[in-house]
Amino acid sequence: MKIFFRLVGLTYMLVILSACTPVKPWQRGNLALPQMALEVDAQEAALRQHTFFSKEAASGGYGGGGGGCGCN
Amino acid sequence: MSKNIINSLSLAALALPGLMQDAHAGRAEETYNADILYGHYAESNQRMSVDIVNVSASAPIGKAFTLAVDFVSDTMSGASPMFNMKDQNGQVKQILSGASITEQRYAGVASLSYALEDVTLNFGGGVSSENDYQSGHFNTGLSWDLNKKLTTLNISASVAFDEVSPTGYNYTKSKTSQQYLLGVTQILDKHSLVQSNMTFSYQNGFLSDPYKLVFVEGGGVQSDARPGKKFQWGWLTRYARHFQDLNDAALHADYRFYIDDWGIQAHMVELQWQQPIVDEWIIMPRFRYYTQNQADFYQSVFNTQNVGSVHSSDYRLAGFGTLGGGVKIMKSFQLNGFVKDIKLQAAFDYFDRKASYQIGGNNQGSFDNFSFYMVTASVNVKF
Repeated sequence: MKIFFRLVGLTYMLVILSACTPVKPWQRGNLALPQMALEVDAQEAALRQHTFFSKEAASGGYGGGGGGCGCN
Repeated sequence: MSKNIINSLSLAALALPGLMQDAHAGRAEETYNADILYGHYAESNQRMSVDIVNVSASAPIGKAFTLAVDFVSDTMSGASPMFNMKDQNGQVKQILSGASITEQRYAGVASLSYALEDVTLNFGGGVSSENDYQSGHFNTGLSWDLNKKLTTLNISASVAFDEVSPTGYNYTKSKTSQQYLLGVTQILDKHSLVQSNMTFSYQNGFLSDPYKLVFVEGGGVQSDARPGKKFQWGWLTRYARHFQDLNDAALHADYRFYIDDWGIQAHMVELQWQQPIVDEWIIMPRFRYYTQNQADFYQSVFNTQNVGSVHSSDYRLAGFGTLGGGVKIMKSFQLNGFVKDIKLQAAFDYFDRKASYQIGGNNQGSFDNFSFYMVTASVNVKF
């Protein structure tokens, strides 16, 4: 749990700090690189989430909430 | 000249793929896309194996709309765990179903997104069909750029209706699931961004697994019986950082905390390193660790005193951890003709699922341990 609260704190801090460092649209070229995309490959990401969803109790967070399956 | 550069970079920023919640929610696409993926999933000890074919396409309609469709075929075969029992020495053993005949699942999804100046709306739905299981869902989402597009707010809702008609039984049961997502993506600086999403899910109806049983010492076997409702909360935070000096490499770090009212808490950490090499080749090693504790009503084996009316020995509700990772290779070809871009991708991942990998320890033994691997290969074409 300790690590969880640390991560929560870190995330919050990062978001607050970001307000102080405005990034102009023409400074965002690096962020537009394909390797910086949060979802680099939507098909594979969906397959991985589907696999983990059918083998683990936890799910959620990635969005695109879809239909169920009778996976065993 | 410089104005042109600024304009094109601004356009690139507008099309920031990292800011899209997923492939089905984002700004209007400017190209026609066609993607095909083949995947193979296999568990150790001749258990379940699945062959997956996934075909997706998306097309811009006018300047503001994007239509996307997606079709999946899963071909499944192999044995799966049914229940656990104790042998003569008192050791818990897992009992598998006989190797099943090949089963098929088909799923189709369609979505339409509409991009306004700062807001993108998305509507979608889909179906999934197996001989004993039917599912349908609808979803809608909104992504809203704020703060000079440094911040993107994501909100989405989905509802799913599932029906199971188990083979060998003469009944049909149903469940309803709702999921709500609230998320924010924030550009931190020129090299990094963070996304944090919370999902709230509520399921009610038949949540048991009709093919699973529990073993009761001195009382034979009983059907798996779970509560009729479930509330789940997941909080995922994703961080991406660019490294200019390392040939534009990127680090991706995800952490998810999960809790539900069945007594399960879970943590997931995933790390990926995307390393461009040369000529648009990218190699991506990745690592994933997952841990959960057992559900309140889980036991490997029950007795007549503790079996109660709600009980399960499903290995997915046990306490365990999964450790694994793999490598993915990607190669892009930029073309100037009718086809604008071709991307080839291939990946291999291996995961080891063990009771002893549960964080904080687990003394349940090794009877339900297994490992699995996944191989995928895909081609993405932009017109």
